[in-house]
Amino acid sequence: MTDLPIAAAEEAVAATATHGNRRTAPFIPLPLTAARATTLAGAVITIASTFMSWTYTTDFPGDLTVSGYPGGLQIMTLIGAILTGVVALGTFGLTGLRWLTPSRTNNGVLLLALATLGTTWYTVIDIAAKLGGLANLDPGGFVAFIGALVLFAGALALPLDRHPEEPADAEYYELGRAEGISAVVRGYAWLREARLHHSELRVPDARKLNRWLQRLVIVVVYALGLKILTFGLATDYSDIFIGYLIVLAVGVWGLSAGGLLKQFQQLTQHNKKFSSTVGVLTAIAYPFAQNNELWANLGASVLIVGTVALGLNIVVGLTGLLDLGYVAFLGVGAYTAALVSGSPFSIWSGTQFPFWAAALAGMGAACVFGVLIGAPTLRLRGDYLAIVTLGFGEIFRIIVRNLDGVSGPKVTNGPNGIAQIPDLSIFGYNLGDTHSVGSFTLGRFANYYLLMLVITIIVVLVFTRAADSRIGRSWIAIREDETAATAMGINGFRVKLVAFALGASLAGLAGTVFAHVTNSVVPDPYVFSGSVPPNSAFLLAAVVLGGMGTVSGPILGAALLYVIPQKLSFLSQYELFAFGIALILIMRFRPEGIIPNRRRQLEFHEDETPAPGNRPMGDDTVPATTAGA
Amino acid sequence: MTALLEVEDLRVAYGKIEAVKGISFSVEAGQVVTLIGTNGAGKTTTLRTLSGLLKPIGGRVRFDGKVLTRVPAHKIVALGLAHSPEGRHIFPRLTIEENLKLGAYLRKDTTGITKDINRAYDLFPILGERRKQAAGTLSGGEQQMLAMGRALMSQPKLLMLDEPSMGLSPIMMQKIMATIVELKAQGTTILLVEQNAQAALSLADQAHVMEIGTIKLSGTGQDLLHDEGVRKTYLGED
Amino acid sequence: MHTLPQQLANGLFLGSMYGLIAIGYTMVYGIVQLINFAHGEIFMTGAFGALAVYTNLPSSMSIWAALPLMLVGGAIVSVLIAVGAERFAYRPLRNAPRLAPLITAIGLSLALQQAVFNWYPHATAGKHFPQLPGGPFHIGSVDVQSGDLFLLGAAIVCMIALGVFVRSSRTGRAMQATAQDPDTAKLMGVDTNRIIIIAFAIGGLFAAVAGVAYGLKYGQVKYDIGFQAGLKAFTAAVLGGIGNIYGAMLGGLVLGIAEACATAYIANVPGMEQFGGGAWAQVWAFVLLIVVLLVRPQGLLGERVADRA
Repeated sequence: MTDLPIAAAEEAVAATATHGNRRTAPFIPLPLTAARATTLAGAVITIASTFMSWTYTTDFPGDLTVSGYPGGLQIMTLIGAILTGVVALGTFGLTGLRWLTPSRTNNGVLLLALATLGTTWYTVIDIAAKLGGLANLDPGGFVAFIGALVLFAGALALPLDRHPEEPADAEYYELGRAEGISAVVRGYAWLREARLHHSELRVPDARKLNRWLQRLVIVVVYALGLKILTFGLATDYSDIFIGYLIVLAVGVWGLSAGGLLKQFQQLTQHNKKFSSTVGVLTAIAYPFAQNNELWANLGASVLIVGTVALGLNIVVGLTGLLDLGYVAFLGVGAYTAALVSGSPFSIWSGTQFPFWAAALAGMGAACVFGVLIGAPTLRLRGDYLAIVTLGFGEIFRIIVRNLDGVSGPKVTNGPNGIAQIPDLSIFGYNLGDTHSVGSFTLGRFANYYLLMLVITIIVVLVFTRAADSRIGRSWIAIREDETAATAMGINGFRVKLVAFALGASLAGLAGTVFAHVTNSVVPDPYVFSGSVPPNSAFLLAAVVLGGMGTVSGPILGAALLYVIPQKLSFLSQYELFAFGIALILIMRFRPEGIIPNRRRQLEFHEDETPAPGNRPMGDDTVPATTAGA
Repeated sequence: MTALLEVEDLRVAYGKIEAVKGISFSVEAGQVVTLIGTNGAGKTTTLRTLSGLLKPIGGRVRFDGKVLTRVPAHKIVALGLAHSPEGRHIFPRLTIEENLKLGAYLRKDTTGITKDINRAYDLFPILGERRKQAAGTLSGGEQQMLAMGRALMSQPKLLMLDEPSMGLSPIMMQKIMATIVELKAQGTTILLVEQNAQAALSLADQAHVMEIGTIKLSGTGQDLLHDEGVRKTYLGED
Repeated sequence: MHTLPQQLANGLFLGSMYGLIAIGYTMVYGIVQLINFAHGEIFMTGAFGALAVYTNLPSSMSIWAALPLMLVGGAIVSVLIAVGAERFAYRPLRNAPRLAPLITAIGLSLALQQAVFNWYPHATAGKHFPQLPGGPFHIGSVDVQSGDLFLLGAAIVCMIALGVFVRSSRTGRAMQATAQDPDTAKLMGVDTNRIIIIAFAIGGLFAAVAGVAYGLKYGQVKYDIGFQAGLKAFTAAVLGGIGNIYGAMLGGLVLGIAEACATAYIANVPGMEQFGGGAWAQVWAFVLLIVVLLVRPQGLLGERVADRA
């Protein structure tokens, strides 16, 4: 029901962007030909440098001493430089490569050059820092250093799509008192103008391609994605992984600046069924792509936290209820499953439910707790829910810790938890054993990965079906404006309770698998914030980082938040600190997350429309939060 | 002589919807100027923009020689522009006296404040009788009196009254209008927004008719009172 | 020592601390309708700020001479963090959807806690905090530690000072006006941003006092004390009626006494033998919160507030 005005608003935005507001200006004034030549020369120098030796010793992770072929981090530089060069050629108009920048902007070239520069300089500086001084660099290292700089400088001299100029009389209330200092204001305005601006550039419609070609593109992209993923997981050193991350993150940003991502989205939208099938097949292919139990375990864990995050997304992203004790529902599911698993430590050690029954029991128990917590609080204003769920998350852990037969009745074995949970067996297929499928072997974690994949798909289906249904629209209406939604006849309490209970049930479902994957359940993981996922802060960060209200966002967010600390073990101590800072920064600068929900994006950036802070009339409805506007 | 308040091509928007689409008018010192028009014409939006609660997207407001367009709300009061908002908006859990003191928030002269509080009690005796009572317990008309008294406490050069008669009984409405006449007689400059066009026009020196964000018609109060179109649309005659 | 007066006294001391922290929640909430989740952490950093001052004082200095300096040090740290959080984290989100500042607050809470954990010297475990000499004093059948007396005294002084400030000062009046109707407060010439800053600062100040009192009472501070204390204090603020400063103190006392009594007496209730003792105190506090929300959602002293945003 809100679709129409939003579509109109989007068109209005697009219209202003295409008619007249496009502003292209280089950062470094150079003739166009010179800029292009510099860029290409930089790319060539950088590529050449990767075939040289960068350092004398093999002490640095990934052997960089060899001339003749690239190794270790040099591969990242090489990939970055080749990509930049090729995309630059396409943008400059070389026939056959033009499709790489559908929107004809040089911004993509600049960002790819930045990726190259980032990873190259990171490597060089890392060598100097790790081995103690610039003396450890071979000439190749210096060539790479200079080459990447030339490449980046050349890209800066290209005409770039930038933010429109700031109005001369613009005021920046966000500066506070510093608004009086003209130098600060000028610098701030310069920074604002320096921002790249390409999100609204038009791209040719990819849906005009041949249908089969479209599908081929989808398959290739998914396969490439899987390859890139396994490549990254297989990196041996955290140094190389950082280089990989730089190239990947900034590189994807660069390709999206050129409009490729937009076109790919058009394709997947156009071939929805096909692309989701390919997506599922790619996910199934993951354990086969590398026969490594460690990565299969990682995959299973990511799916578990991703699925739970997706469940949380129903509550937070769709309905706008902040649940800070969500992990407790995972715990309820896990403990329920553990109690009926036939574990010798369970008080009902004789009972062993088949998996489907255990899953239902876990869901049911979580649902009951969801209703028990939700019913008294969901009638009140939303903030109370946050604190009550936070309390519940804390209480859950305390209770299961107390139910040890000493501090309270014996149910959960207290801090020792319920151990020796037997592996699941579904239709005679024991998930604990190693199975051979053709020439591949599937280990224990690969089995659980595949089981978890089924559960993830179920949850994704539940999520998308619910979001597109009557109740899903009610959730969104409640999130946008509860008063108005209630006035339109939506029973706010009931609708919120359904969302809350559904979210809890899905977490309970994931919990049942979680109990079996980890073999035991103990109270400790079920905290608000802790060093090991899943915890409520982790799940919330995953949802917020990925993008509230989207399907792929929380899964992507969970994957990133789970995998990056695993690969960068030296960071683990600062992980929670980084989570905290990330939450603050995301809310400040990109509240819609990595994958924006279009509706949500408009809502968050409402204040970038011409009149900041103004709200519709009717004084009584003006929220107090505009107090300082 | 330049006018006390000059509004030039003022434009205000809520998001992408323009509520005031470029209006210009002025208020001379000592005058009573009124804006009349139906709901949604942009009258309240205009006043809220003048007092700084809303930010315009274009145009210029000049008050007492200073450009107001970029000044935050709490500094505008200090320049001598007081605003008694639509719906009264007294502070319900503060006493009447505390409400009045807040009206004088920016003043430092304690004796002057006490004097003005007493003047407000003279103007509205009922307020004086209930000075220690929570303002939320007052009736609608009494709350309106309090809102006007409170706005006067800042010793404004220009008093903006938004719908002072809204939701009041006819007797209370007459009382409020009589007070405005009295204030006018004392020389207070007033910008009055009213739906009760008859009453507003009959005491206004200048009047402007607003329709969907623009000024349709301007003239002296008496002119408009006798204008056929105005009589038809706003005074309910046909 | 399990006499009823002793339990009431224990509850009173605990409750005073909850109340002091709860003031910060309730003032900020009353004005900007934001649950400042980071407030528990502001309490914690106040304790660490005071500890840092103490550590850097000459060891010959008596605790009585050091105490004022510690209070000042803790207050500076807490107030700076609280005001900085408002200025740089919350204010830019004033017009954002309601979830945004809440999530920011959680992020801030995590970041502060981890900052102390990672960068305060040797703070990964509990840190020893100086204790006041003297005591325990025997008042009737009640045993009182000197730290408890400090806590009670601080709570009384703070509460009276705040009451006088809000009721009689010009700024206090402006604060009430801003809480009741921020737009109209601006029309009176009130710089609402300044009022909000002051609310955060007062909250920070009281949290720092509570932090010092916590250290003196328990002899130890840890990087994670803010989470529990914050949760309890917010519960206290809700119990008392959020937005009401007297309610916050009352809620704190009710919660503290309920907790002390539950610890001591629940086990005497037939059928509940296994649910008594300190291990279950948190659970009963939570049950109390749920019951109050069910029976009197506006809290003990609160007025019914419509959902405004």
